[in-house]
Parts: sequence; C-alpha cells; structure tokens
Amino acid sequence: MGAVFTEFPWGVILILLPVTGGMLCFLWPQIAKITGLFIVFAVALLVVGLAWQIFDNGVYRHAVGGWGAPLGVDLYADGLSLLMLAITALVGIGISVYSATYFKHEQAVLFWPLWLFLLAALNALFLSADIFNIYVTFELMGLAAVALVALAGSREALGAAMRYLLAALLGSLAYLLGVALLYHGFGTVDIALLAERAEPSPIIWAALGLMGAGLLLKTALFPLHFWLPPAHASAPTPVSALLSALVVKASFYILLRLWLEIFGPLVGGAGVEQLLGLLGAAAILWGSVQALRQTRLKLLIAYSTVAQVGYLFLAFPLVAATGVSAWSAVTYLVLSHALAKAAMFMAAGNLLCFGGHDRIADLDRVVQRLPLTAGAFALAGVSIMGLPPSGGFIGKWLLLEAALMQGRWDLVVVMILGGLLAAGYIFKVLGYAFTQADVSHESKAVPASMEWAALLLAVAAILLGFLAVPVLSLVSIGDPFGIGEVRP
Amino acid sequence: MSTPFLYALVGTGLFALGLFALIIHAHLLRKILALNVMGSGVFMVLVALAKRTGDAPLDAVPHAMVITGIVVAVSATALALTLMLKLNAKSGHAELPDDRRE
Amino acid sequence: MTLLTWVFDSLLGLSLLWLAWRALACPDLFKAIVLFVAFGLLMALAWVRLAAPDVALAEAAIGAGLTGALLMAALAKLHPTEAHDDFTVPPEKNVTKVWSWQWLPAVAILLVTTGLGYVVLSLPPYAAGLSTEVAANLAISGASNPVTAVLLNFRGYDTLLEIVVLLLALLGVWSLNSASLDRKAAPGIVLDTLARLLTPIFILVAAYLLWVGAHAPGGAFQAGAVLGAAGVLLLLAGWRPRAGLMALPLRLVLVTGPATFVIVAVLTLLMKGQMLEYPPTQAGVLILILETAATVSIGVTLAALFLGGDPRKNNRNKNQT
Repeated sequence: MGAVFTEFPWGVILILLPVTGGMLCFLWPQIAKITGLFIVFAVALLVVGLAWQIFDNGVYRHAVGGWGAPLGVDLYADGLSLLMLAITALVGIGISVYSATYFKHEQAVLFWPLWLFLLAALNALFLSADIFNIYVTFELMGLAAVALVALAGSREALGAAMRYLLAALLGSLAYLLGVALLYHGFGTVDIALLAERAEPSPIIWAALGLMGAGLLLKTALFPLHFWLPPAHASAPTPVSALLSALVVKASFYILLRLWLEIFGPLVGGAGVEQLLGLLGAAAILWGSVQALRQTRLKLLIAYSTVAQVGYLFLAFPLVAATGVSAWSAVTYLVLSHALAKAAMFMAAGNLLCFGGHDRIADLDRVVQRLPLTAGAFALAGVSIMGLPPSGGFIGKWLLLEAALMQGRWDLVVVMILGGLLAAGYIFKVLGYAFTQADVSHESKAVPASMEWAALLLAVAAILLGFLAVPVLSLVSIGDPFGIGEVRP
Repeated sequence: MSTPFLYALVGTGLFALGLFALIIHAHLLRKILALNVMGSGVFMVLVALAKRTGDAPLDAVPHAMVITGIVVAVSATALALTLMLKLNAKSGHAELPDDRRE
Repeated sequence: MTLLTWVFDSLLGLSLLWLAWRALACPDLFKAIVLFVAFGLLMALAWVRLAAPDVALAEAAIGAGLTGALLMAALAKLHPTEAHDDFTVPPEKNVTKVWSWQWLPAVAILLVTTGLGYVVLSLPPYAAGLSTEVAANLAISGASNPVTAVLLNFRGYDTLLEIVVLLLALLGVWSLNSASLDRKAAPGIVLDTLARLLTPIFILVAAYLLWVGAHAPGGAFQAGAVLGAAGVLLLLAGWRPRAGLMALPLRLVLVTGPATFVIVAVLTLLMKGQMLEYPPTQAGVLILILETAATVSIGVTLAALFLGGDPRKNNRNKNQT
C-alpha cells in the first residue's frame, strides 16, 4: 500500500488531470461546473499524495519521455514547489466554490475550461525544471488569464485584458531571448544542469537582464506594474482573486528559482539584490499610497497587491547576511498573501454583488448586513497589515528581523511605513463598512457559498500564523534555498 | 563574420526594432505586428546560433523550440486580434486608453 | 564561406531589418501588413540559409501565411471609416506628437541592443549544443528527422502543452466573439474556382508533409498549417460548415490532438512508468498517431481562429429567439 503511494506519479497527474478536465468542459459545457469542481478537489488530493511521496522519498523527479536532462524535459518538486502547488490547490478550491455560484450559465461555460487550463499551467510551471518548458507554461498561463479577464466583457475589462496580454507577451519574449542565450552559452535548458555548467560571463548578465526584466514585468514589480491594477480590478471577481493570489506568484516563483539556482551564486553581491530591494521598497510605498487614494474597492485591493509584491523583493538584499530567515519570510509572505488577497477580492466581490457597486464611500453598514463578508475582509486585512496572529505577521516579522539583524534601517522604515499605510487603507474600508452611507441603495442577497468561501480563506490566512514550524520545515525539503551557496 | 553570428545579430536587431515600435505606436494592430517582429528576432537568435556545430550534425533542439514558438505566437496573435476587434467595437478605438501616465 | 554567400547573407539580413522597419513604421496599416507578410517570406528564406527547412516551412505556412490572413481579416473588420482615417492621418500626428520623447526609448534600446550584440559575439564560434545527444538517440526515437524526433519524442511534453495553448487561444477567441454561419455572398468566380481546385491539393500536400515528416522536413505543424490554409481558403470562398456540425462534432475534432497526447501520456505512464516514454519498437507508430491527430486539430483550429468567433453561440442564440 505504501509503495503504491510513494511510486505513484502524482506530479504528472497533477498536470494531465486539469488538462483533461479543461477538454471535458469544452466538449460538454452542460457538465462544466461539476467537472470543474471535481477536478479541483481531485487536484488537492493529488497534492497531498505528492506531499506524502516527497516526505518519504525526498525530492520528486520525473524524466518525461524517459530521456532525462539535457535531452528530455524533467519535472522536479522540492519543498518550495510543493508549497506552491499546495497553496494553488487550496486557493483553487476556494475560488472554485465561489465561482460555482458567481458565474451564471453563459459565463460559467466559458469560465470552467479556461480556469482548468490555467490550473494545469500553474501546476506545470511549479513542477518544471526546464526553462524552455517554463516559457510554454507561461504562454498557457498568460493566454488563459487574459481570456478570463476579458470574460467581464466591459470596456474597461477589455482594455485591461489587452494591456495585460501585451505585457505578458513582451515579458515572455524577453524571457525567451534569455533562454536562447543560456542554451547557446551552456548547451542545456535544464535548471540543475545550467547551475552546474554556468560560469560568470557576459551571457549570464545578458540572460539575467532579459529574463529578469521579463519576469519582473509579469510579476508587476514597480515600475513595471502599470498593467496590474486595471486587469485585477476589472476582471470578474474570482478571476481577480486568481490573478492576485496565484498568477503573479508564478512568475515570482520562477524568478526566485532562477536566482537561487543559477544567477544568485554567480552574480550575487554585485548590486542586483540591492536594485531589487530598492524597487521592492518603492513598490511598497507607491502601491500603498495609491491604494489609499482609490475610491473603488477592487482598485484599492489591486494596488495593495502592487505593494505586497514589493515585500517579496525586500528579501533579496537581506539574504546575504541572514540567509534562511529572509527566504522563510518570502515563503510565508507568498503563502499568506495568496490566501488573504483571494479572500479580500472575494469579499469585495460579495459587496459588489450585494450593493451593485464597489464605491468605498457608499458601503452601507455592510458589517451588520453581511457579517461573514465583512469578517472575511477584516481577517484578510489583519494578514495584509501584518498584525499577529496571522500568516502575514509571521512573514513580515521574519523579514523585519532579517532587516534588523543586518542593520538595514532604511528597509525597516519602509516596512513599518508600508504596514501603517496598509492599516490606513484597510481601516478606511472598514470604517465605511460600519457606518451608514449618505444614499442607501437597493441590495441583493449574496449566496452563502460565496460568503463562506471568502471567510474560510481569510481564516486560513490567520491560521497560517500558527503553522510556522511545520510550514518552514516543509519548505526546506530538498534545500531549495541552498543556504550555503547563496552567500557570496 | 560567420553566418550564425551574422543572423544572430540580425535577430537582436529585429528584437530591438519590434520593441521600439511596441513602445512608440499606439495602434494595437501595430503593437501586435511589433510583438511578432520581436518574436521573429528571438527565433532567429535561437536557430542562427544552432548552426555553430561545424561539421557535426545540426542541432535540431532549437529548431523544434522555434516551431513550438511559432505556433504559440500565432495563438497569441489570434487572441490579441480578437481582443482588439472587441475593444474597437466597444470603445470605437483600436488603441489603449492612455491611463498609464496618470 | 565564400564571398558570394557572405554578400547574400548580408543582403538578406539587411532586407529583413529594412522590411521589419517599414512594416512597423509605414503609416498605411494595409501596406504594413503586406510588408509584414513579405518579411515572413524572407524569414523563411533565412531559415533555409540557416539549414532549418522545418522552421522555414512552418514560418512560410504559419508565420507569414496564416498570421498574415489573420491580420488582414482583423483589419477588414476594424470599423472601415474609422480605420481608414487611422491608415492615413493619425500615425503622422502620432509621429510629430511623440517625437519629443521618442529619442529616449530609442537610445535605451540602442544601448541594450549593442550590449546584446556584444554578448552574442562573445559566444564561442563552435558549439555542439545537444546535437550529439540527439544523434545518439535518433535511431530509437521513432523518427529519422531530428526535428520531428525532438518535437514528438525528446521534448514531446512541450508539444503537448503547446497544442493545449492553441486550443486555449481558440477558447479565448470564442469567449469573446461569435461568428455567423450564414453563407457569405458569392465571392466571385475566380476565388470560387480557386478554392475548389486548391482545397484537394492542399489536403494532399498536408498528408504528404505529415507522412514525410518522420524522415524529412515536414511534420504535424507544417501539415496542420497547410490544412488550416485550405480551411481559410474555403471560408474566404464563402463556404460555411453545416450548423449541425458545430456543437459536439467540431469540438471533438478540435480536441483530437491534445486528447490523443494525453491518452498516449497516460498509457506510456502505465506501461513504462514515465510519461511519453515510448517503447522503441512502437515509437514510430505512436509518433505517426500523435502527428495525425495533431495535424487534424491544428488545421481545424487555425481555420476556426480565422473564422474569428464561436459558430455555435450564434446558432444557440438564434434557437432561443
């Protein structure tokens, strides 16, 4: 029995199953919702299976086609990939439950196949060990995400989807040119082999520049964030949640991987980390101030994503001296932001569905009228602000600790300012949610499943605050952060 | 300069031309053309440098990658063009509202 | 390298850059697309010079041919009057308007490109890449054309995902637009005759390319593109499939390629333990099956992309009203 579990190719099925599901939804739209929900729950079980396997056997490697790198494409999963897959499955369930009632027939028929293909792309991306294969997963992810944004159908959404598509394609092409240089420089596209073969050279710098720029554009790090707020704000709510929680993290994950495995050991200490940290700090301040200025709830949340992405990059300059705690902070921030931001967008979607608008100033006593949704927003806000006890608190605390250890007072100040600004924009929303609006509006009932989906994800973001020890030991499987090697 | 490097330089030139056009032109059809030219440049770098095998057999891996890339490019182009038409039908413009510099 | 080939390569490279520049800068969008198609055809010539005939075929059929058709169709559908203004006046206006800041990206890109050029030239003049690995395993790959071996065997997983990308693009297009299945007015005798004559020829060419791909330039993508071109021609000539075929039958055909890939992936997983690991004796057959399924799907998907919308949606709305 145990052997069945440890030998079963969980990782491969994690990719093939949602692809199959997407095709089934495409063929038989009548059963798209049932198929979609079934596949998403099955994917979560597969992730559990993969986790079991990784606990028993250590890192997962699957040589597709039986060739192995460099000729073939390898799949690879260590603790970090596993956590990304797990958070994708978890947030995916929340989003699917929410979507099951959110989308009415016409849109539902379009949503489910696109979402399942997007899920396949995310799983494939987190499992890939091959930089060209990652390019293909990026395109799969990008086209699915753009089509999902455009589902909203409004003029704003179409414009935002177009801008998003152009940015995604530009990012992919820059990335692909970097892949071309690495391949011709070192004769392989396998990440592990590249890590072995690569040596400091102009090729490495050019590839870092191209791939880095492409990935930063996809991750929407300031000042390359221009496409994110309109896309994340105008998309249908479950799609906003998906994009902010998972899709942005996918390109960040690849950036982190490439930095840890290939570029960091070669060019670490040459100022790239400082640049990333600087942009991260700028993103925190700019995104938070913009969020504070917004009058529409979904735009506020989208700008908050711009700011929270900034935190992820603060870790880069801190790693040199503190190593593990900075990367643990990043892991925690990625996980908790995924949960909290998905919950927050869903709560906003509920308010939008309830009042027919998302003008912050006209939120009319929603705390009394939609207590579950207001609770979800507040709990998610606790994690976004980084207050204890929450996943966001652990992440930001670890990051703060790393900054203090290294005496980076500038970053400490930015983090504290970012926290205060986050408190500002979240309490601004909550303030209006408690009080009566000047004009009261017609309101519509919000389906219970949409309220509970938001609340449960927000609760998960809080609970993450109590799971630091198991989560951090999980992420260390396979030593993805190669602590010894990262230090210059 | 040998053939592979000559064409690889042409490839980087195409990438640059496409990037420049993507930035300065407002019309979406032109932006889509620009992205296609950039893609052609990347593909050319991939294939040109694969010709450095001397007398050994050709390196087919980049060729296969570029065929994959061409199919991905036509997929993206088709989606982009439909999006452009839809946007044009809704807003009357085949250009993005310039809300970038707010 | 002889002087003659050097001159030829240099001229071809310069023409490519010049055509790209004209296609991107020419104020008339129609001309721009024509120039872009010409650029694609010259690219195909460059691929031949780079000893990449498979890429040349794919570029000529997809990069220049179908992309050109898609661009032209999109241009025709842009609001004609507004579009016409766009062709002539605003780009000029744009040029004068943006000239003040154009130099900034121009200088930045020039600097970056110079750096990239330097990096490219810093590469060693000889590199085997993966050619030895490919050659060593070609015999057991099931195809003697190395490009087909890479696409369908060594890196077959990329191809699986890529065919899903194509399907996904169609899904995106369908989610945005619906297409009318009403027969278009007669397009004129020339196009009509041309379509009738060329369609069977295109199908034959596609079948030939598919078959020959195992050991010579060609394969599923080129064959699929030619099949797609036949579809485009039929659509241009006003042909529309019967509405009854638009529901499940069309979708089944579209899914054939990715579905076959997934089935083969699962079967190989069960038999060999690794996804897409073919038993060497059956590799040839498996590749042919995969390529045939992929060709049909690619051809129909490309033609459907040209149609530009969901043909069923329109049908369904009609039924409801």
